[in-house]
Amino acid sequence: MKIKERISELQDFYLLSTRGLLGAVRKPFYFKDMIEQMDYAGAGSFIIIILVSLFIGMALSLQLAAELSSLGLKMYTGKIVGISIIREIGPVAAALVFAGRVGSGMASELGSMILGHQIDSLRVFGVDPIKKLVTPRILSSIVMLPALTIIGDVVSLFGGYYIAVFVSHQSGTFYWSSIRDVLTFENVFAGAAKPFIFGYLIACISCYMGFSTKGGSKGLRTSTTRAVVVSIVMIIVSDFILTRILLYVLGFSV
Amino acid sequence: MIVFDKVWFSYGLHHVLKDVSFTISENERVAILGESGEGKTTILKLILGLIRPDAGKIIIDGEDISNKSEDELRKVRMKFSIVFQEGALFDSLNVKENVAFCLREYSKLSEDEIDHKVRELLRIVGVEHAIELMPDELSGGMHRRVAIARSLAACEPKMFLYDEATTGLDPVNADIICKLILDLSKNGRGLIIVTHKIFDAVKIAKRFIFLKDGIILFDGDKDDLLHSTIPEIQIYLNEVNFS
Repeated sequence: MKIKERISELQDFYLLSTRGLLGAVRKPFYFKDMIEQMDYAGAGSFIIIILVSLFIGMALSLQLAAELSSLGLKMYTGKIVGISIIREIGPVAAALVFAGRVGSGMASELGSMILGHQIDSLRVFGVDPIKKLVTPRILSSIVMLPALTIIGDVVSLFGGYYIAVFVSHQSGTFYWSSIRDVLTFENVFAGAAKPFIFGYLIACISCYMGFSTKGGSKGLRTSTTRAVVVSIVMIIVSDFILTRILLYVLGFSV
Repeated sequence: MIVFDKVWFSYGLHHVLKDVSFTISENERVAILGESGEGKTTILKLILGLIRPDAGKIIIDGEDISNKSEDELRKVRMKFSIVFQEGALFDSLNVKENVAFCLREYSKLSEDEIDHKVRELLRIVGVEHAIELMPDELSGGMHRRVAIARSLAACEPKMFLYDEATTGLDPVNADIICKLILDLSKNGRGLIIVTHKIFDAVKIAKRFIFLKDGIILFDGDKDDLLHSTIPEIQIYLNEVNFS
């Protein structure tokens, strides 16, 4: 019975994810809803992304400077900070923050709409809830998470710069020239491709969890928690898979 | 016409409806009675195709809707107008936007025409003054009246469906809602009201269906209901002090 339920859940998730994405090319289009979601997901997450990215950049720079100093290699701080942030930590950190803030919001909003029969009302009025509610959330996540990741990367690099120059007493010019050296197409592409996938996954998982809410306020708590937990696990798992694929496609040898 | 033909429905292992059959004409005023959890709301959801029966047929105007797709069901749903329990207004939209929702979605009316239509509908239900309020600023009675206005804006229904339309309201507001429901059905349009408040049901309905343990225990008029010798119905009437 459990296996049958899990397969059924996976099938529902697949249908929601596919129909949610296809909604972007099928009428009617809900531009106003999409802009509203972009504002919530993007502008609303701006400050928290900046704060988290700044401190991640500073902590990473601090750790590397400490370790590399003992080896007499602290001039490589900028290069390692740059590669780590652009290719790996920046996209993952932004996605985790996004899942915690935006994903939980999506799940709880849709869940309360389910419990309050608002989704049933939409269906009775002949409105497709997936097109009206899921598609704008998927599109806004696919657009806003990459944008937030780029902003987060830049802020992290500035955080790393502050530690490298003012705490570790390294040359600022050398730090930025190291960063410029790692801004190759391969590195930027490896980091920039991930947020699109992460954004899609977070929106689909959160909307699915919201739609599967049942059992009152306790059920809402469960679905919101599941949305965040599953999103976080999927971000980390898919990050590994994407890293493996991108390293292979971009010709890096491991 | 609505026909339930040997309908079974369950939530998990719990059978809510067991072999339920009945026919309701489109100009009838029917109350579905029963205690909480007896499957009253489930019947409304089945009529609208929001959920599918495990077995049996649901026939609306000669069409079996049990296996219709969501697109096909939209046409069926337009024949009905439903007011869900507690209104189910969209809580991110104000009263005007709630009532205007379907007009904006489907009609080609201008903003001025929509505004005029919304005010007219709100005047009919007596809450025109609340046009700019958000749902959480409305009282229980106003909430239901706005929900009725919104359902009127949706389409020209053949039948109205009300899910616990007066539950949670004080007697004065419940009476206002009952009168409004009756007014809307004056031109011969039928209704189905699902409720456990028999006081309100007898004001509105002429036919009563009583559900107990997933089966129809009683189907008849007011006199038959009040003089029923079925023990479960007598207990129910005694519990609500209506015998």
